[in-house]
Amino acid sequence: MGLRDVLLGKKKLAGPARERLFALTTAAVTMDTELGLKTAGVGGICFKALSAGDFVRAENDLQQVLDGVAAESGSKLERREDSFGYTWIVVRDADLEDQVTTIHAVAQGLEEQGFGPQLLAAVFKFEGAKHPVYWIYGYKRGAFWPFVPTGKDQERDNAEELELKAKLEPELPVEQDLTRWFGVFDAPL
Amino acid sequence: MKRKSYGRDAGLSLRMLLTGSLLGLLYVVFAVVLFQVLNVGLIPMLVIVIAIAVFQYYTSDKVALAASGAKVVERDQAPELHAMVERLCAMADLPKPRVAVIDTDVPNAFATGRSPKHAAVAVTRGLWQRLEPQEIEGVLAHELSHIANRDVLIMTVASFFAMLAGLLTRFGLYSGMFGGGRSRDNNSVPVWLIVLLVSIVTYFLSQLLILAISRYREFAADRGSALITGAPEHLMSALQKIASEMFRIPQRDLRQVESMNAFFIIPTSVKGSVSGLFMTHPPLEKRLAALGEIAREMGRPVA
Repeated sequence: MGLRDVLLGKKKLAGPARERLFALTTAAVTMDTELGLKTAGVGGICFKALSAGDFVRAENDLQQVLDGVAAESGSKLERREDSFGYTWIVVRDADLEDQVTTIHAVAQGLEEQGFGPQLLAAVFKFEGAKHPVYWIYGYKRGAFWPFVPTGKDQERDNAEELELKAKLEPELPVEQDLTRWFGVFDAPL
Repeated sequence: MKRKSYGRDAGLSLRMLLTGSLLGLLYVVFAVVLFQVLNVGLIPMLVIVIAIAVFQYYTSDKVALAASGAKVVERDQAPELHAMVERLCAMADLPKPRVAVIDTDVPNAFATGRSPKHAAVAVTRGLWQRLEPQEIEGVLAHELSHIANRDVLIMTVASFFAMLAGLLTRFGLYSGMFGGGRSRDNNSVPVWLIVLLVSIVTYFLSQLLILAISRYREFAADRGSALITGAPEHLMSALQKIASEMFRIPQRDLRQVESMNAFFIIPTSVKGSVSGLFMTHPPLEKRLAALGEIAREMGRPVA
């Protein structure tokens, strides 16, 4: 956001989400060659549960979206609720690009139905290091940040996260404000 | 102050004196020009500014606590924190301030209050959870030194005329725009224009000097902390931790934060882009260097 936008009070939420999200597929090559990280074959998108009034309509719309996406892609879709009251669409697909495509399609479908503001984050899981690595894409921020939980309570490996940032910054839109790097513990992935 | 020595740094005292004098001189010039130009017109303005300053001074603690979202905690809510503050106050010969906690992950702390009797010290949850006890002591002692040095009073006084200048700038703009300012004769420069220009210059220069004073007060509080705890090395490591990237990464869950909302409103690109001359705190390296010097004087180990 430039100074002009600040002065004029224009706060852009997320830019062209598609390009930002798909940057992950390029970055994945670097992750593989330099860090030995590969996709765990699972990703997910997380959105806020709806108010009771919207619920019935949303249920039907959401099912339509999911059916549409499932028919087009070979990905396996799964719906989960978490303890925070958020809904997850978990996408299982061995190929990262297909995961991203599917998640983007779900997000787009939700946006078209008017649920864009409910979107919270897309999460992609990678394996190959000591702990599993998650890349979180925040829809409100339009950027990725790394999340490496150690599995013990709510501990995370900050050193590893900062290394991931340094390595992938050239290819990935990484959230620069580290105070926004909130984790998603116990994501149903 | 009963106790005279929070330690002296001759160079620092001199710089503080010099900056203070410059600010005073600037303000005198500003006042003289205004009186020359405006005569009586200035009196109501002065009354307003004094009222604002007094109000700010007396409510400083409440405003600062409310603005930062700090909650005052009683002894039973945070017994260890209270015990630590009491211990440090005993060593610094200060009455115990109120203790507040801010619910964020980023380690930080501040002190506020117009006098040692009306003071409060606030720490973030991140500071308490992520730093070692001795490091927290160093940070708390730094904040208590701010209270002992009466920095709120100093900054209120220092900002007084800057506030007046700011107000006059606005006033001058309005009266100029709406034709309220009449020149005494048709050939001279309109009064509002003189007032406007002088106010703008005063405002700008005074802000720079105020920030310089603020940075000197930080050095003084660092020194105070070193003398209260007798172990500057802990404040040094605390400062490094607070400044480090790693400690900016939050511990909380995205969904938890999101449901508390309010977080995604502030444009982040605005902050963090100003530095150097415009900083209220001196750069970390300079603070560490100064603390290292104090540590050597005290014969403490420096990492």
